[in-house]
Amino acid sequence: MDKNDKLAVSYRRRQTLITVLPFLALAGLFGALCAIVTAKGYRLDMYLKIVFNEGVVLAIVATGAVFIYTLGSFDISLGASTLFSATLGVLTYNATESLPLMLLVIFAVAVGCSLFSSVLASVFHIPVFVTTVAMMSVLSAVAAQLITTYGGALGGISIPSEVVKPLDKPLFKIIVLVVFSALCIFVFNYTKIGRRQKFLGGNPVCAQLTGISLNKYAIIAFVMAGLGVGIGAFLTLVYTPSVTTTTAGSIGMNIIVAIVFGGMPISGGARSRIYAALVGGFSYILLNNILMLLVDSNAGYGISQIISAVFFLVVVFVTGINYRTQILPR
Amino acid sequence: MKKSLSKLFALVLAVAMVASLGAMAYADDTVKIGVLVSDVSGEEALGFRAYYEDYIAANYDVTFTYTDQLEDAAAEKSAIEKFAAQGYDAILSLSSSDRVTQIETAIENELYYAVVSGMLEDEQFEQFKTSEYFVGQIGPSMDTEYEAGVAMGEYYAGQGVKNVAIYGAFIPNPMHVYRAAGLLAGLGCTYGGAAEKDAIVGQIFGDQGVDPSKIEGDIQVVAYLQGFGDTTFDELNGAISQGPDAFLSVGMATTFFADALNGAQIPYGDIDSFTSGNAANMSDGTLTYIAGKYSSSVGPIFAATLDAVNGNPIRDAEGNAISISQSYLVATDSETFDTIFNGDKGDSPIFSKDVLDAVIGEGIAYDDLVALVESN
Repeated sequence: MDKNDKLAVSYRRRQTLITVLPFLALAGLFGALCAIVTAKGYRLDMYLKIVFNEGVVLAIVATGAVFIYTLGSFDISLGASTLFSATLGVLTYNATESLPLMLLVIFAVAVGCSLFSSVLASVFHIPVFVTTVAMMSVLSAVAAQLITTYGGALGGISIPSEVVKPLDKPLFKIIVLVVFSALCIFVFNYTKIGRRQKFLGGNPVCAQLTGISLNKYAIIAFVMAGLGVGIGAFLTLVYTPSVTTTTAGSIGMNIIVAIVFGGMPISGGARSRIYAALVGGFSYILLNNILMLLVDSNAGYGISQIISAVFFLVVVFVTGINYRTQILPR
Repeated sequence: MKKSLSKLFALVLAVAMVASLGAMAYADDTVKIGVLVSDVSGEEALGFRAYYEDYIAANYDVTFTYTDQLEDAAAEKSAIEKFAAQGYDAILSLSSSDRVTQIETAIENELYYAVVSGMLEDEQFEQFKTSEYFVGQIGPSMDTEYEAGVAMGEYYAGQGVKNVAIYGAFIPNPMHVYRAAGLLAGLGCTYGGAAEKDAIVGQIFGDQGVDPSKIEGDIQVVAYLQGFGDTTFDELNGAISQGPDAFLSVGMATTFFADALNGAQIPYGDIDSFTSGNAANMSDGTLTYIAGKYSSSVGPIFAATLDAVNGNPIRDAEGNAISISQSYLVATDSETFDTIFNGDKGDSPIFSKDVLDAVIGEGIAYDDLVALVESN
């Protein structure tokens, strides 16, 4: 076996490890949660439902966002988009008492906001993440103004809980999660869209020289992310039929954490994985819940967050080891 | 490779087992109460917490578990579900992103629920008042909020002020709307030609704030600001530059503006709470009027919740949940402030064990609880 063969074998091993690691971590965290909840005498069935409810919105929005991150781009406005979509959805329902119209508005606003960011970036040749930073400020401010105007600054706006209560069931959310994930997997893995987006993320100059349009695939990426935001906004309302100025406030940052936990590099490119957000999102929520169970909340605020941050750095380091190789990713 | 993966999997399982061993299960008869909080660092919130954790927990067989800072309605609902999964008995809520969802979730999970600070809107209370798991609410009603505003306005009018600046806090929050309406009435002003409570309140809700051009009276309102954002301090400086005789706030001014107002030597009044910060503002600064809550004011709702958990619920004559309005205490000088503040600290709170024991146990009448709340 010559040097190149050895390198190739070593690379394949690392690739396998890096592929399996996020799933192992998810399984380990799931096992740890079950063990801790059982040992403490708490109700495991309720805890699993809680974790699923906490993770499903993050997993869906982050899965849509993978298309953007694959391009090597970055969208910090997804949380604000979720808030803005949900806000307009609530206002629409309260004005019309029509659930279909509310849904239509939520998706139109979510996709519209996402498209606006990408078109703005294309027209003015501004880096996409810059436009999303601006969008985050604008959407948050407008949503806050609407919520303040219609619901009071310390309160919020809401729809009657009975409108969405029948949908607040694990089965419905699992179906939504599976359908959206299947759509994303199909587009990402079984069409040229995913392949070209990886190419653009890995080497944009080379990709464009081969005739691949960055603008076209950026728009597709933002549309997919917008769909995720729309579903996320709707599921947020299904869980709690009210919106405050802080609703979905942590989603923007949590998406980054979820994608990294799922084993995908933030820089995008060929190593992008559509399942990363799904696996990473639930891993992150499981980790948070485990820490909350183990760390007494009365002992001091922020301990869980500090441990999560250390864990995050460890994951980045471990996954980064795999990238320092002499062989091109495939 | 397979060997490495096996080792890795074994390591993950080992971590899970160690974690579970560290989690010691226990069960006893102690009443377990979860407390929902959206403010974890404010002086008022810390005062409530110290009273529950240091005083009440030491005197009753009860434990309090506080949540981390709850950012939104989803976090509130999730926290209640976790308390239910952990076998808690009751929820005390100091968080108000979505009270309706909180109560629905508590009822679904058969947890007793009480509003610790503030009051539900009337229709919300009507919706849940017959539920056995809804203990009720003890706090300032909207009428009490209005009267608190009236009292502050009358105080400054009595002091002979000729022009004032007003901070409307977070109008259209109903609590602040009612206080602002009362303040205008107390100053002897009309708003849009109206002098009656309901008419003023209705207009402020409609305007989403106080429109200074609609205020008429002997006392001039030279500046008005509300909310808190990037331009708030510019607005405050503009108000200070008008040289008002007093700066009157319907909430949060002592938190946001105390340093600026103390520095500008402008007398100010606020509806807030009895805290060490406000003690200093009154003794060393220019705070001249404070109407507020005190740490142990959350004692009676704890007593009612404990009764409910122990199978001795206190209900009104129709069998509905309790709803009792709690007044603010007022101080206009350091001596009065210190009497209230120091009289509610440590081992001798206003609602001490001796006082609360009068409403804890079997056969407690609703009127007894009302009398207890109104007497302090």
